[in-house]
Amino acid sequence: MEIAFCQPRDVVVEVTGLQVRLGDTQVLKGVSLRVRKGSIVALIGPNGSGKTTLLRCLLGLQPVDSGSVRLFGEVPSPESLRRVGYVPQRLQVDRSFILTVREFLAIRLPATRGWFWRSTHFIDSQLKELVADLDVERLLDRPLAGLSGGQLQRVLICSSLLNKPELLLLDEPTAGVDTPGEKDFYELISTVQRHLGLTVVLVSHDLSMVYRHASWVYALNGVICCEGPPEDVMSADSLKQAYGIHVTPYQHHHHVH
Amino acid sequence: MSIEPFMQRALLAALVMGPLCGFMGVFVTARRMSFFSDTIAHAALAGVALGFWMGVKDPTVPMIIFSLAVALLILWLKERTDLLNDTIMALLLSGSVAFGMVILSLLKGFRNELDRFLFGDIFSVGWGEVEVAMGVTVGVSYLLFRHLNSLALLTAHEDLAHVSGVPVRRLNQLFVILLTITVALSIRLLGIVLVTSLVVVPPATARNLAQSLRQQIILSLFLGLSGAVGGVALSYPLNLPGGPCITLTLIAFFIFSLLISKLIRLNKSLPGPL
Repeated sequence: MEIAFCQPRDVVVEVTGLQVRLGDTQVLKGVSLRVRKGSIVALIGPNGSGKTTLLRCLLGLQPVDSGSVRLFGEVPSPESLRRVGYVPQRLQVDRSFILTVREFLAIRLPATRGWFWRSTHFIDSQLKELVADLDVERLLDRPLAGLSGGQLQRVLICSSLLNKPELLLLDEPTAGVDTPGEKDFYELISTVQRHLGLTVVLVSHDLSMVYRHASWVYALNGVICCEGPPEDVMSADSLKQAYGIHVTPYQHHHHVH
Repeated sequence: MSIEPFMQRALLAALVMGPLCGFMGVFVTARRMSFFSDTIAHAALAGVALGFWMGVKDPTVPMIIFSLAVALLILWLKERTDLLNDTIMALLLSGSVAFGMVILSLLKGFRNELDRFLFGDIFSVGWGEVEVAMGVTVGVSYLLFRHLNSLALLTAHEDLAHVSGVPVRRLNQLFVILLTITVALSIRLLGIVLVTSLVVVPPATARNLAQSLRQQIILSLFLGLSGAVGGVALSYPLNLPGGPCITLTLIAFFIFSLLISKLIRLNKSLPGPL
C-alpha cells in the first residue's frame, strides 16, 4: 500500500479500529485509515455508510466507542483543530439572522475579531487578498441566508482558509449545488490544494468528480471496503463491493485540445 | 416641569431593560428561542408562588432561581432525551404555571401581588430594583459583546463553531443563564404574559430595516429603548397600564418597519421580511 511506508510525520490523519454506534446501529465497525500530507483523499460510499460519522470523529464532534483518531499525531483537541479548516455540508442560517458574508469572514479572522467596532473599509482591507482569489468580493454585502448553494460553498471555503489550515475537511461540500457549480467547486478545491499544499479529506457522492480530483479513495460501508487510487477503486467490482449494487463507474474520456 | 419619582424610576428601568432585551433578542430570534424565552417567563410564576409560600416579601430572587432551574432543565432534557424541543418547553411551561397556581390557591391575600407579576407594574418599581437592573444590564451587555463572535458563529453553525474553538456547551449555558436573568428582571416591566414581546419584537423590527448583523443589533438596541421608554411615557398621561403600552408601541414600530421595508424595497436582495 502506498502510504504504509510513509514517515510518521507525513501522516496527517490516522484512524485505527474505529467503532461508533449511533442508537441501535453500529455505523462504523472497525475503520482504519491514514491520510498522507498533501494528498486529496475522498471518502465514498452509500447513504448511511458512516462517511459523515467518520468525518465528525475526525473533528472531535462524535464520541467513539473504541479505536482511536489522531490528527497530526494528537487526539483531536482545540489545539490540533486550529490546524484544520472545515467546510460543513450546508449552513442552515435562519432568515431572521442577517449575518453578512463580510461579517461571517471577519468573525473568523484574528485581525478583524473586533469587526463590530471597525469600519467596513478596514475589514475589507484585511480580507482583500483571500476574497479576491476566491471571487467572493462581490458577495461581501450579501447575507449568508440569501446565497445560492454554490455561492455559499465558495464563502465556506474562503472562511475555512482564513486561519491558514494544513488540513481541510469537507463534508459533502456540493450537496445542493447544481452540476456546473459542482464542477467549479472541485476545480477550486484542487487549485487551492495545489497552491497552499494542503491535505484535503472530502466526503463525496459525486464519483466522477472524485475520479478527476482525488489522489486516494476510501470506499466505506461500515468498514473500509476498498482503497487505492481512483482508477483502481472505481472499477465496477470495487464499487459493487462498497455500494452493494451495480454502480456505473466514471468513464474517463481523453479530449483532444 | 418636574418628573414624579415613580415616573423617574419607571423611565430609568425601561431605559436600561429595553435595549438589553433588544440586544439579547437578536440571538433569541435567530436561534429560534422565542418559545424558550416564553417558557422561562411563565416558569417565573412558580418561583413567585414559592417565594410567597416561603414568606419572602419580594419574590424576585426565588423567581430568578426557579426560572434558572427550569432553563437548565430544558437544556438537560434536550441533551439527554429524544423529546422534541417544543414538547419539552410546552411540558415545563404548563407544568410551572399549574404548579404556581396550585400553591397560590393554597395561600390567601396575594391576588394583587400576583397581578403585578402576571401583567407587570412598572410604576411600582423601587430604586433598589432600578439599581439591580442597571447592574445587570452592564454585566450582561459586557458578556454579550465579549462573546459576540462566538455567539454569531454558534448561531450560524454549531459544528463550525466547535471546530473554530468555541466552547459550544458552555456558551449555550451562559447564553441561557443571561437570557433567564434578563427575562426574569424584565417581568417587573411587562409582566409574565407580555415580557417576551420586549425580547422578540425589537429584533424582528430591526430585521425589516437592517442589512447586516451590526445594523440589526444597533437598531434592535435603539428600538428596545424607544419602545420601552415610549410605552411608559404614553401610558401615564393616558392612564393606561405600562406593560401593554410598551408592547403595543413595539408592535406599532414593527408594523411601521414592515411598511417602510415594502415601500423602499430595502429587502430587495434579502430573503424577505419575517
